[in-house]
This record gives sequence, C-alpha cells and structure tokens, in this order.
Amino acid sequence: MLMESYSLGEAVELSAIGRKLKKLWQEGEGAMARASLINLALYSEKPGSLKRNTQLIAKITEDHACRALVIGANPSSKENRVEAWINAHCHLGRSGGKQVCSEQISFLLEGPCVKFLPSIVFSHLDSDLPLYLWWQDEFPKTMDPQLWAWVDRVIFDSQTWKKFSEQMGRVETAQREAKQRIVLCDLNWTRIDKIRYALAQFFDHPASHHHFSKMQSASVDFAPGFKSTAILLIGWLAAQLKWKTNQQTMNGSCRFLDANNRKIDIELRERPGHPIGEVAIESSEIEFRIAPACGDLLEVSRSGGNETAKPQMMPAQGNDPLDLMTQELLRGGPHNIYLRAVNSVRSLL
Amino acid sequence: MNRAAEQTEANPLREGLSTRAVPQPCSIVIFGATGDLTHRKLLPALYNLAADGELPPTVTVIGFARRPKSDDDFRKEMEDAVKKFSRQTVRDEIWKNFSQSLFYHQSDFSDESGFKTLAERLDTIDKERGTRGNRLFYFAVGPDQFEPILKHLKTVGLNKAREGSWARVIIEKPFGTDLPSARELNRVVSNSFSEEQTYRIDHFLGKETAQNILVLRFANAIFAPLWNRRYIDHIQITAAETLGVEGRAGYYETAGALRDMVQNHLLQLLCLVAMEAPTDLSADSIRDEKVKVVRSLRHFIADQVAANVVRAQYAEGAINGQPVPAYRKEERVDPKSMTDTFVALQLNIDNWRFWNVPIYMRVGKRLPKSATEISVHFKKAPMVLFNKETNEANVLVIRIQPDEGISLRIQAKMPGTSFRIEPVKMDFHYGTSFGKASPEAYERLLLDAMSGDATLFARRDEVEEAWAFIDAIENAWSAKKNPPELYFYPAGSWGPDEADELLARDGRAWRRL
Repeated sequence: MLMESYSLGEAVELSAIGRKLKKLWQEGEGAMARASLINLALYSEKPGSLKRNTQLIAKITEDHACRALVIGANPSSKENRVEAWINAHCHLGRSGGKQVCSEQISFLLEGPCVKFLPSIVFSHLDSDLPLYLWWQDEFPKTMDPQLWAWVDRVIFDSQTWKKFSEQMGRVETAQREAKQRIVLCDLNWTRIDKIRYALAQFFDHPASHHHFSKMQSASVDFAPGFKSTAILLIGWLAAQLKWKTNQQTMNGSCRFLDANNRKIDIELRERPGHPIGEVAIESSEIEFRIAPACGDLLEVSRSGGNETAKPQMMPAQGNDPLDLMTQELLRGGPHNIYLRAVNSVRSLL
Repeated sequence: MNRAAEQTEANPLREGLSTRAVPQPCSIVIFGATGDLTHRKLLPALYNLAADGELPPTVTVIGFARRPKSDDDFRKEMEDAVKKFSRQTVRDEIWKNFSQSLFYHQSDFSDESGFKTLAERLDTIDKERGTRGNRLFYFAVGPDQFEPILKHLKTVGLNKAREGSWARVIIEKPFGTDLPSARELNRVVSNSFSEEQTYRIDHFLGKETAQNILVLRFANAIFAPLWNRRYIDHIQITAAETLGVEGRAGYYETAGALRDMVQNHLLQLLCLVAMEAPTDLSADSIRDEKVKVVRSLRHFIADQVAANVVRAQYAEGAINGQPVPAYRKEERVDPKSMTDTFVALQLNIDNWRFWNVPIYMRVGKRLPKSATEISVHFKKAPMVLFNKETNEANVLVIRIQPDEGISLRIQAKMPGTSFRIEPVKMDFHYGTSFGKASPEAYERLLLDAMSGDATLFARRDEVEEAWAFIDAIENAWSAKKNPPELYFYPAGSWGPDEADELLARDGRAWRRL
C-alpha cells in the first residue's frame, strides 16, 4: 500500500517517469484514489530544498490534491546533472476508508541544463489542469518566455526580496509577455489576508460607513524583516479608500491624503513578534484595533465615542510556508486588488 | 447589482475578500433553545462560524425556552452540546469569547409578559453589544407553537424593525401537513412577518452538492444542450436511509415519508434539476424558476394514484446484519399504523423541456444503505454499429449525501480484438478532490439569513404549490372507498416489488445504489 512518505521516493530515468508512475499506481494496494486538481511546480535553488519541499508537499496535499513537480536547481554548477524521483503522498480521505493520493515528481537539475526547465516541467504536466508555479527564489534577470506561456498562477513571497521594484518589474514583464493571463500570487499578500478580513468587517454595517471619511491615522506594528508586509497592508487601505501618497518621513512613517485632501498619518513601528502585530485605525470618533492573541487568533475591537471595547476573536493567518500556501490555494481569483495595493505604495516598497 | 456587489460598493475594503453577501450584526433569538435542534445543529453551526471568523463579532444569541435557567447554565449546556456535535474541535479561547454572546431568556411561549421583557432585553443588548436593532427569530419549535409566539412578537412590536434595521423569522419544516394547513400557517406567519422577512429552512438546500447542481448545469456548457426531453430518457431521485423512526414516532405517525421528505426535500431537489436558468442569482430569480417547476407538475386525479404512487411500510428485517423490528412494533407506533415509511412515485413535468420525461422518486426508511442521489438517465445511442445487447445508456449521477460528488457513466471498448463494449464510470468525489471540509448546511443557511439572502429558503408559493401536488396523493390514500394498498417490505430491502414494477412496466429499473 502507498503510504505517506517524506522521502523523494523511487529514482527514475527522466524518460521513464510516465511509465514508472503508472506502475506505482498499479502496484498500490487497498482502497486508493489518485487525485489532482492542479499541477503545482516548486522551483528552488537553495541547497536541501528538495527534501524541505517534499515535506511541504506532503502536508499541502492533505488539503489540495495536485500533481507536484518539485525542482531543485543549481545553475552555477559546471557539470550537467539531471536526476528524477517519483513518489506519492497518501492521506485518509475525509469520509474515511479510502486513501487519497497525490503524485510528486522531483527533479535535481545542475549545470547548464537548468535552462531546459520549461521542457522538463511541460513534459510531465497532468493534462488539462492549471499550472501553478511557486518560485521560491529571486527571479533572475532573464527568464524563458516559454515558461510563462504555460503558467496560470505564479506564486512568490515578496517579503524575501531584496529589491522589490526590480523583482516586481520582472514578474510584471513576465505577466505582460503572457498577455496578462498569469495571476500573481504574493504570499506576502496572503500573510495579511486575515487582517484585511478583520479590518473589513468593522465597516460592514451601514452605520460604520461614515468613518471612511473621518479617518485620521493608522499604525501598524511589524516584525523585523516584515516592513514590506506592513506597507502592503497600508497600500491596500490606500488603494481601496482612494488615498494618495503625500510624503514619507524619515522614520519610515508616511502620510496620505484622502479623496477630500484630508491628511492621514501612518505610523509603521518595528516591534519583535508576529509579522504584523497590532494594527489600529483611528477615525475622529472610534479606534478600530486588531492585535494578535493566543498564537493563531486575532483580537478585534472597536472603542471610543459611546462604545466600550468588546474584544472578539477571529482566526489569524499563520506565517509558515505551509499555512500561507494552503490559504493561497484556497483563495483563487484574479488578485487585481493586490496589484492595486502595490501600485498605491510602489514608491515605499 | 446583487447584494454582495452592493455591499462591496458601500464598503470598499470588502472587495475581493468575499463573493457572498456579508452577514450583519444581529441578535438571534432561538425559540426552543433547550431542544434537540438547538443542541445538535444551531449552536454548533454558530460556533463553527465564529471559529472560522465568518460571524460578525457582535452577533448575540438569546435562547428562549420555558425551563428556568441562568445565562451561565445555558452557556454550560451549550458548551457541552457544541463539544459533542461541532464539526471542529472546540477551542477554549474561542469558546470563552463566543459564550459571552449567549444569553438565556426564560418564558412560556404563551406568556405575553415574557415577550415584553424579551423586547427590553434586546434593546439593552443593542446598546451594549452593537447589534443595531437587527433581530433574527429562529423557530426551533413545533408548528403548533408558532401562533402564540408570532402573536406575542407582534404585540410587543418585535416583528417590525426600526428604520435601518431588520427583523426576520426562520421557520423549520414541516410547513403544514397539507395545503389548507400550510396556507393557515403562512397566514399566521404573514400576520406578523412579511414574505420578505420569512425564511423557510430546508437544510437539503444548504448542502454543498445541492448548490452544486446549479453550477453543474449552468457553468458547464456541455450539459445545457442535452438537458431536455430530446436527450433525457428519465430522471431518478432516491433518498434512502437505514434508520427507522428513531424516537420520532410521534411526529412520523402523523407525517409519513411523503409529507416528511417528498413534499419538501425531494421536490426542492427536483426543482434544481429541472428549472430553467435564472436571469441572475438573486433569491427571487432562482425561486421564480423553481416555482415554475412545481407548478408544472402533473397533478394526479384520485384513480391515477394507485398506478403511479407506491406506498409501503417496513416489516421486520435486518440492517447491516442486525435484526430490526417492523415499523408497527416500534415504540409509540400504532400497531395498526397505515403510515408510509416508503414511497415510490412516477411524476411528470408538463413543460416544454421535460414533457413526457418520467421522474421517478423513491424515499424510504430501513433501506439497505443511506444515500441521497439524483440520476439523469440519457437516451441510448443508436447502436447500429455495435452489439445491440450491450447498449447501455449514459447516466449522470449527482450524489447529495454521503460521499458527495458527481459521476458519469459512459461506454468504453474493452481491450481486445473485438468490439466488446462495457460501461465505465468517471467519478468526481468532493472529499477526494477538495481536502477542505464543507460547512454544515445550517452554517450556510444561518449566514444567508443574517445577510438577507433568501435564495436557499423556500418561498410561500413554492411550499403551497408543493402541497397542492402532494394533497392529491394523500387524499387518495385516505379515501374511504378503495384506497390504494399499503405494501410491506422487509427492513433492509429496497422496498416492495411494486416499486420496481413502477419502472419495469416502462422497461426501466431503479439504479443500483
């Protein structure tokens, strides 16, 4: 019986992958179903990434059945080396009884052959299913346009980028080359998903709408290394509420102008802790506040005016790659709002 | 513009975060707060919504029942219930927070003063918790309790919302026992709440697969051209359960399978399968199309009932190898009971699309397995090329529960040198393809009611039209002269032979489940 495994599995010749996969299923015993909704390709040049990503895929496939193509690359090597493995990740289905299995094909590419990445990926796709490419490194200056022609969603984490504008430029170029078909999925944006949700719910009731035009200031705490995450959050507020950048002060804080040219001061504070810590928005009457609580929850409250704070708990977004990917794969959609948010704070990123 | 789009326009921060209408802060008053439904379904559903961050933080639940109890007693009781019945593990931090939104209001349903104090309490809650005058009244009680509750709600003015707020009522089935009683019930409800304020819950419509019928039909272009009398031979809808009456004999003796299942759940499923595409996804557009299906049902005249409807009752038998008693031997069941625990019927929809396409329905207790499925049986291909004896039709199956999914049976050539054709099944399982568990039907339906989306709730005309169809059958059954026979089937079988004959006479057979 196929069982959950964190190993790369069986080593196979590149040309024999299809045949060996078929054999893998033929030899499987017991109640078992192969499932796949997407092709999920992971690309990393970091040493040891194949094993780390195999563990990740083992977990991701619990919620998202896919054909995983895990690629570990070392383009700087002088010698060409190509190795491949096949494996399956099996989990007991929700209704019990039957094992639900996802395939993983792993590749180790070294040397100049890394440039053949598109042909390696394309020849092992599960047909008719979308291709999600999770690019775990910085994007190189030149990328094979062939690759983008087939990718439906490209997943990356801008929090790890050293130069945001340069990297974003490359992604946007790729997107243009693919005639805007590729959806850009930034895990740094996924990181603030639950915070955005918590902030949005404050303003659902019609009686809260007037606060939009009375906002005076906002503050966002962020952990070291997560300033871009905080700026994306501010970018989202600015884009959705039609604020314009006014000025950036020396200490990293900034000022926006709303549609009526009223000033809104934003304070970004680096504090150890969660990637995004406390977030507060003040209107002339009410303070809306969100803060991490109990590890994976958010405490949300509003206070001021005649109201006393009645904190409530909402789910928070986990920050490890598994949590971020699981959430990202659940979301779908074109992510136009992300691009709007980026554009509104591009100069700050 | 639909409600979700309107909300996004008013609250731009919502854009892209949610494609559904957002629930509003409100007080939910549950009448019958100590009952089974509250314990098993309502509070677990509300807790799950809170844990998933779907519930507006200020939502407040007020349990209304006769037994004396403090808020803390009620919270403890609900904690036990949620721990027992929730689909996800109860987390102390979330429960602690959620439980502070639970309150108990003790009163008899016939005591007006209890409603006055409820109104005062709701006003206080509005001020203290920011529920903004929005009220959702959930009737988790028998229909005999509706009238006094509705009357008192009206007397104390709780049926009317203040400007900018809303008041809604959710009522549970049975929505009457026949057309006159349904009309009377609707009259009673409409004396206090308008149709727009009334949400008749049918939990089948909250199930993911029931909702997916619309997606399957109207988001997949390949089915639309086939979905008519030219290509469909017949449709079968089966709702089978292994359970017997399980302590519900008191109710079941007065209802039977036809009233308990066919009038509501099965006809609702039929509507989703047979309706025309709505102009949009608004509640009334969808319900307009559904009610047209019920209106198009060919009503039986008395002497057609015996030929088209088979009623039966389970006799002694075995389920999963365990002996089970006959229905008449069940506790609190009349030993001479004529209640139907199984119904099979052939009905017809007299509209352009489905004229002369028979719809076969069967529902029953103590059947070999529990399964609710719809199967669309297409006409056979002209087998001039292949062996005529192997000619099987394509069947599209929509599995509502359990193991939700969709399968399509097609013909395939067996490997070999000859043209031997065998049916094969392409199978989609929700549980296999999507790891994430679907929310419980009550979670979806409660959220919809809080956000004012009545799409998945039955409208008055749907209910009354359904009863008009069912009454013709019930009237024939209760006729003094020559009523159609009540057949018996061994528990653990697929019903009486007469149910098979219903299809066999047309050269058809029930799908093997």
